[in-house]
Amino acid sequence: MSFAIQALTRSLNVFHLAGSACNNCDIEILDALTPKYDIERFGMTLVGSIRHADLILLSGVFNKKAAERLKILYDQAPKPILVIAVGGCPATGIIFRGSYNCDAPPSDYLPIDAFVPGCPPKPEAIISGVIKVIGRLRSGEARPAYENLASGGHYR
Amino acid sequence: MNRDDTIERIREALGKRLLDFERKTSSRIFLEVAPDTVPDVSRLMFEEIEARLQTASGVDTRDAIEILYHWALDRLDCVVTVRTRLDRHNPEIESITPVCVAAEWVEREMWELLGIRFRNHPDLRHLLLDDDWPAGKFPLRRDYEEG
Amino acid sequence: MSDVWTITQFLVFPGLVFTAAAGLLTSWLDRKVTAWVQMRVGPPLAQPFYDIAKLMIKETCVPANGSIGLFLFAPLLGFAAMALASTILWRALIDPETAFVGDLIVLLYLLAMPALGVILGSFASRNPLASLGGSREVKLMIAYELPLVLAVIVPVIQVGSIRLGDILAAPAAVASPSGVLALLVAATCMQAKLSSVPFDMPEAETELSGGAYIEYSGPPLAMFKLTRAMMLFTMPVFLVVVFLGGTVGSGTWESAAAGVGTWLLLIVLMVVIRNTTPRVRIDQAVRFFWGPVTLVALVAAGLAWIGW
Repeated sequence: MSFAIQALTRSLNVFHLAGSACNNCDIEILDALTPKYDIERFGMTLVGSIRHADLILLSGVFNKKAAERLKILYDQAPKPILVIAVGGCPATGIIFRGSYNCDAPPSDYLPIDAFVPGCPPKPEAIISGVIKVIGRLRSGEARPAYENLASGGHYR
Repeated sequence: MNRDDTIERIREALGKRLLDFERKTSSRIFLEVAPDTVPDVSRLMFEEIEARLQTASGVDTRDAIEILYHWALDRLDCVVTVRTRLDRHNPEIESITPVCVAAEWVEREMWELLGIRFRNHPDLRHLLLDDDWPAGKFPLRRDYEEG
Repeated sequence: MSDVWTITQFLVFPGLVFTAAAGLLTSWLDRKVTAWVQMRVGPPLAQPFYDIAKLMIKETCVPANGSIGLFLFAPLLGFAAMALASTILWRALIDPETAFVGDLIVLLYLLAMPALGVILGSFASRNPLASLGGSREVKLMIAYELPLVLAVIVPVIQVGSIRLGDILAAPAAVASPSGVLALLVAATCMQAKLSSVPFDMPEAETELSGGAYIEYSGPPLAMFKLTRAMMLFTMPVFLVVVFLGGTVGSGTWESAAAGVGTWLLLIVLMVVIRNTTPRVRIDQAVRFFWGPVTLVALVAAGLAWIGW
C-alpha cells in the first residue's frame, strides 16, 4: 500500500455537496457529523472549502443547473479525490428520474466510488459506506480519481 | 377592525366585480374575480387593507389556468385568497409587481412553468429552469410532452 | 563551526523539526480535549501527522488570476518566522547566556509574522470570501497586538531589561498583582492570536467556508497548518517564559515542572474556552480588545510602574 493511500485513508476531509436535494440526506449527513457518531476518531473532519476536500458526499438529484456546478466543483477539488453518492437520488434519481429538469444522474459523468442507498440512509449506513471505500483503497481494489473532467479524464 | 368588518369592507369595495365568495372556515376566505380586476384587488389588499402577499399559486385545471393570490391578514389571523381564471390557450394577465414587489419572482416562476404571460413585468426571465430551456415548453401544464 | 551549529539549532532542535513535531502533538492535545468536552473519543495520537502527510500528496491548486508568487510565498513567511521565533525562545530558555538585548522585541515581531502571512495569502487568493477573512484578520491583529505588547511591558518594567536572559533570572512577574493582571490580558490576546473561538472569525468555517485559507490546497495548506500548530505550541511557552521568569529559568526539575504545568494549564484553558463560547463579530472583538482588555493592561502597566 503506497504512502499516498496510507495518508489519504487515515485523514479524510469530508465535503458535503448538495445539488437540489430535498435535504433529508443532508440532515442525515449532518447527523453523521455530530459527536454521537464521532467520525473524527477515523481521522475525518468536515471542511467548508472544496479546495480542502478529499471526499465529496453527494446528495440530491442534480438537475440541469446543479449538474453544471457539480462539474466545475469536481474540477476545483485537488486530486486525488473520492466521491460517495449518498441516498437514492444521485444514484438513479428515484422519483425524479425522467423529470423535465433532470438529465443524467451524476454517475454518468463522474467517477463515483460508492453508493449508499436509502431515502435517506441512516448515518450508520453513510459511515459504513465510507469505511468500505477506505477498505477497498487499502486493499488495492480501487483507486481515487486523479484527473479533472475538463482535461478529458473520466473513468480511471 | 375585526375579521368580519374587514371582509365586509373588501366586499363593498369590489361590489359587482366580485364573481364568487366563499368562506370555507372562519379564517379562510376565497374570492373570485375576473383577470382585469386583479390589479385593483391587489392594490386594495396591499395598500388599503395592508395585507401581506404570502405567495401566489398557479394551477392548470382542465378548463382553465387559475392563479390564486394568497393575502395574509396577520393581525386578524386569516388568509384571503383571490382566484382568477385565465384562458388556457392564451393565458395573459397584468403583473401585480408594480403594486407589490414581492410578486416579482413568483410571477417569474409561474411564467416559466405554466406559460402565463405577465404584462408589464419588470424582469421576466427564467428563475428555476435553465437559461437555454426551449421556449414555448411549459413543464407544469397538463399537456406537456417530454422532448 | 558555530555557524553550522546555529543552523542545525534552527533547523532541527529547538527550531523547525522540534517545534513542528511539538506543535502537532499540541494540536492533538487540543483535539483530544475538545473530544473529551464533547463526550466523544477523538482522533488517535498520530492524527495531525497523518493530516500533514496527506496534504503533501494532494495537488497544489493556484488561482488563475491571482499573484502566484505571493500566493505561494505567504505560507512560507509565517512558517520561517515561527521556526526562528521558537529557536530564539528555546535557546534563551536552555542557555540564558545566548539571549541578546532586544530579543523580546524581536520575538514580538516574529510572532506577528504568521498573521501577516495569512493576510497576504488571503489577498493573493483573489476570492471575495478570502479577502473578507483577510480583512477580518487585519482588524483582529490591530485589536490584539496593542494589549499584548502592553501586557508584555509589565515584566519588562519589573525586571528593567528587554533581554530574555534577564527576565529568566528575575523573580516571576505573576508574584505581583500587576503580573497577574498582565498574564490574564496576555492569555486573552493569545486566544485571538491562535485564531481560537471566540475570535476565529478570519477563518470562520461555516460562515466563510474556510475564510482566509479557502483557496489553499496541498503543501501550501500543510505549511499554514504547521504554522498554526507551531504557534499553538510556542505562544504558551512565550507566556510562561515572560511571566514566570525566574521560576522556570533556574534549570532545576522543579522549575521545569512549573513551566510544563503552567503551559498545560494555558493550553487546556484555551481549549475549554474554545469549546464553550460562541464566535463573536469582528466589531465586537475590536471593541473588546481596545476597551476592557487595553484598560486592564494599562492598569497593570501602571501598577508595575509604581512598584506593585
